[in-house]
Amino acid sequence: MVMIEAHDISVSIGRRQILSGVNFSVRPGELAAIVGPNGSGKTTFLKALSGELAYAGRVTMNGRDLVSMKPWEAAARRAVLPQATALSFPFTVREIIGLGLTGGRSGAPAGEQDSLPEQALVKVDLQGFAGRFYQELSGGEQQRVQLARVLCQVWKPVLDGQPRYLFLDEPVSSLDIKHQLIIMNIARDFARRGGGVVAILHDLNLTAMFADRIHVMHRGRPAAAGAPADVLNDELISTVFECDLKVGVLPQPGIPFVLPQSAGI
Amino acid sequence: MSVALIAGASGTRRKVVRDGDRSTRARLAVVLLAVGLAATVLFSLSSGASDASAFQLVRDWLFPSFAANDAISARDAVIIYDIRLPRVIMGVLIGAALAVSGTVLQGLFRNPLADPGLVGVSAGSSLGAVAVIVLGATVLAPVTALFGSFALPLAAFAGGLATTLVLYRISTRQGRTSVATMLLAGIALGAMALAFTGMLIFIADDQQLRDLTFWSLGSLAGATWQKIGAVAPIIVLALSATPFLARGLNALALGEATASHLGVPIQRLKYVAIVAVAAAVGASVAVSGGIGFVGIVVPHSLRLAIGPDNRYLLPASALLGASMLLLADAVSRTIVAPAELPIGIVTAAVGAPFFLWVLLRKRGILDL
Repeated sequence: MVMIEAHDISVSIGRRQILSGVNFSVRPGELAAIVGPNGSGKTTFLKALSGELAYAGRVTMNGRDLVSMKPWEAAARRAVLPQATALSFPFTVREIIGLGLTGGRSGAPAGEQDSLPEQALVKVDLQGFAGRFYQELSGGEQQRVQLARVLCQVWKPVLDGQPRYLFLDEPVSSLDIKHQLIIMNIARDFARRGGGVVAILHDLNLTAMFADRIHVMHRGRPAAAGAPADVLNDELISTVFECDLKVGVLPQPGIPFVLPQSAGI
Repeated sequence: MSVALIAGASGTRRKVVRDGDRSTRARLAVVLLAVGLAATVLFSLSSGASDASAFQLVRDWLFPSFAANDAISARDAVIIYDIRLPRVIMGVLIGAALAVSGTVLQGLFRNPLADPGLVGVSAGSSLGAVAVIVLGATVLAPVTALFGSFALPLAAFAGGLATTLVLYRISTRQGRTSVATMLLAGIALGAMALAFTGMLIFIADDQQLRDLTFWSLGSLAGATWQKIGAVAPIIVLALSATPFLARGLNALALGEATASHLGVPIQRLKYVAIVAVAAAVGASVAVSGGIGFVGIVVPHSLRLAIGPDNRYLLPASALLGASMLLLADAVSRTIVAPAELPIGIVTAAVGAPFFLWVLLRKRGILDL
């Protein structure tokens, strides 16, 4: 099947079992969000999916077993945005983004290859930042530079007829609301153009707005999966987040609230 | 600086320097450093206790009739070919080896302060060398008998490689190397090698102690064509492997996981880097003893000038490392002429304050 499928994934670190029995899939054209409380195994699962952690079970990417793929083969099929990236050398923003082209399979036409970093910077709303030093940027700017690097790696969402994937670990965690929307739109656009996106998110409103499918993790196990309207119900999120929550209930009159959905209405 | 490709009137495309792209500057720097090294080599061949000049020698090459009538030229030719030239070649080889080893280790450990001395490679090499100096006439007599004058370089090389391989075994689990474990294990292995070295020094006699002191201070004075024959192939082979590591080391700056996500075969990269460093450092330590700070100062200052891209940093380090060591050697053999100062004293005396200065000046950017 042309998709990513994870079957019965378990991960143990030391003697502690972090994940058990996770089934997951993401199809081309789909933005799959993973939500869940802290420590529920979201990042661990994404690390298994990207081949960073050893796991029991089976992951296939476009029909091929992940274990059998060489690093460069996997890199041609998916790009991974980690939560945070610290640097000890004085790279410029352009040099960092250029590292996304290490594998040489961006999919962009040869003539455009050199200008990809600039194009990617425009996408993440950082035009003019190419000559700045990465270490001098704010946390949110650094996160967007890393996303620009990741975008360069899989510039075309479909390469050689095969869909490609973006794995995003909390891509909007340190961003203001404008840039949260910009980044989520980039992710959705990547999916609409034929790629697949797996994103770990914390903001349930943003998740409901952008995700095609939500996977809820709870204590290392999948708690639910489905369309936002099916998954986000009072009972499930109250149980999973251990907090008495109601879906679609407005606060008391006079208390302001701002939803991302209201942008541009 | 403007951005992008500008389409000229004739429709031809001209490449323009982009913001944040330092590759043009870096290429220029590599060319300038190559010219600088050539000048330094000529200068080193011409300077010394005798007034023999390489420029004269070049002149004699071009006009052989001139030389035939000149008895002094013959003496100068001996001084230059048999004394200065091997020493200069040795200086170039070792300077390049130490600087490139530092660059590779710093990339591998993602730490601008990593150095062959830090992970115990130099200590392991020293142990091998000291063992031959102290035990060469007794316990290791069969070894010295077998290898003759090659026993010392080979032992140092073996010591460096053994340390690095043990280090790799300790810090690699399930095919993954933890940099933290590796650094700490390197410190422990270095301390162990130092302890054994200390024991050997404790049982050494007076003459051996004298040899040890001079060897450990570092010097290019013992350079001969024979020694070059022993270490040049090792160093050249190790150095020629490093350009293939450049892109991988660049990606590694983002962390092991991210480099792997970018398609870099991390385990192979680490293995090649480690063996190349062990070989280059082992060979260097064997013939020249402890020459410090080249592996830290050279890559560090180059990174500030041309950026951390290893595709340019590695060749630039080799060139600048070679030039720096030649200059240090020129100082060491002229400052107290006709006697000689061990070169390790010169590199440490110049290198350590320079390193501190760089560190203080750029503290913000390096975020150490």
